[in-house]
Amino acid sequence: MSPELVTALRAETPAAPSLLRDRIAAITAASPPPRRFTTRRALAFAVPAVAGLSLAVALAVGLNTAIDPGPSRTAAPSAPDAREGITKSLGPAVAEGQPVTTLRAPVRDASAPAPTRGRAQDYRASLTLLVGGTEELSDTTQKALRIARRLGGYVVSVGYSTPEPAEGTAEVRLRIPVSRVQAAIVQFNGLGRILAQDTQIADLQQGLDDLTRRIRALERRAARAHGVEREQLLSQIAALRQQRAQITRRAAFATVALNLTTHEPKAPAAAPGRLHRALDDAVGILLAELAIAAYALIVASPLIVLLAAAFFGSRAYRHHADQRLLERA
Amino acid sequence: MKPVRPSLADAAERHLDDVYRYVLYLTRDPQAAEDLAAETFERAVRLWHRFDPARGSERTWLCQIARTAALDHLRAEERRRRREARHADLADRASEPDAQILSPWLRQALATLSAADREVIVLRVILDLDPADAGRVLGISPSACTTRLSRALARLEEKVGSQLVA
Repeated sequence: MSPELVTALRAETPAAPSLLRDRIAAITAASPPPRRFTTRRALAFAVPAVAGLSLAVALAVGLNTAIDPGPSRTAAPSAPDAREGITKSLGPAVAEGQPVTTLRAPVRDASAPAPTRGRAQDYRASLTLLVGGTEELSDTTQKALRIARRLGGYVVSVGYSTPEPAEGTAEVRLRIPVSRVQAAIVQFNGLGRILAQDTQIADLQQGLDDLTRRIRALERRAARAHGVEREQLLSQIAALRQQRAQITRRAAFATVALNLTTHEPKAPAAAPGRLHRALDDAVGILLAELAIAAYALIVASPLIVLLAAAFFGSRAYRHHADQRLLERA
Repeated sequence: MKPVRPSLADAAERHLDDVYRYVLYLTRDPQAAEDLAAETFERAVRLWHRFDPARGSERTWLCQIARTAALDHLRAEERRRRREARHADLADRASEPDAQILSPWLRQALATLSAADREVIVLRVILDLDPADAGRVLGISPSACTTRLSRALARLEEKVGSQLVA
């Protein structure tokens, strides 16, 4: 650039007229108008408010849990109580849709619920017994097998393990005639100190009755039918009879799982303290809130992108339009 | 260290001349420049709470407000001229503002330049803003501002070079 031109331009520095100066002084001396409630200000208020509310909800839930742990959070039981709480589930569960009665008898009560006479039932019992040592473990296992045989039952499986010289476990699975299962359980309970006892009874009679009704209906139809139809009906009747026989066999024997152990199970880890639980719950709620916020953001992201594009596009257009206006002026 | 925030009255006292020169060069109309300077400070009173010294000087901020006001004025003027041109042949009347406060050679030279050229000249040469501040007012980068100034001065020099030598 030419220095002469710049010097000449800088020599042309018109000052604001005094009237204008007075006018501006009056304008700037006036107090500013009250601030309006703009979108920016609303956001500046709403964002911290929402964040604070989320935090407050999380803290409230955490504190509430700390004060009232609720049924799902029981305090850590003492050692004898822990032993009472131990149960062991029995093999495969009973068939779906059938009524199940589960009884967890107190360990000091050696009695077990009796099966209902005259009704077919799936009776399963589980016993966990503490014995003195590995030698006693072996003897007790033998005794249990003898008791089962004496009562007309049989052994399904036996698992015997002594991983340490002074420690061992035996898992015995027995089938005992239902009519004598109560006597068997009483005798098993005498073999050691009871750590846990669990009994499940599922009614099979209803299914059995349904099968019997269906068989009779098919027999009536078969008596009237001829040829291929009769053959089909007879084969259906045979299949249903087989099914009924299976259920009857199943109902004739109870399943007893006898777990013998030489050592008491370790007490579960101490439950977390109130503060810890409160923090856990508060963090959980915060994470859930964050997840909801992230989900909302993902769902709204296409709209946000469109709005941002519209905003920046209109700004660029405005800038371009201003520049063209200045070029023309 | 946090920059000190002056009062608007102090800022007006210090920078009124700059704001006035800026809008005068943009419009080439002393009366419009006075009105625009007043409007600039009226807007500044309303927006003063949003002024952040960390983001630029108060002079830059006032020039940004003045530019918005001037653009609104130019837009309104353009609409008015178009409207008048449709109804009567008066379009030429407003195109020659009475900028008697500038010397004749400069008035003539500025008349040949666009407002965009005049704007960058007044910001960089008359108000002596650095490229960054001038670019902030114009909404462009400092390098783009420097390029625009070079071209504007070249055009101005082409028009008035002989008069300056004389």
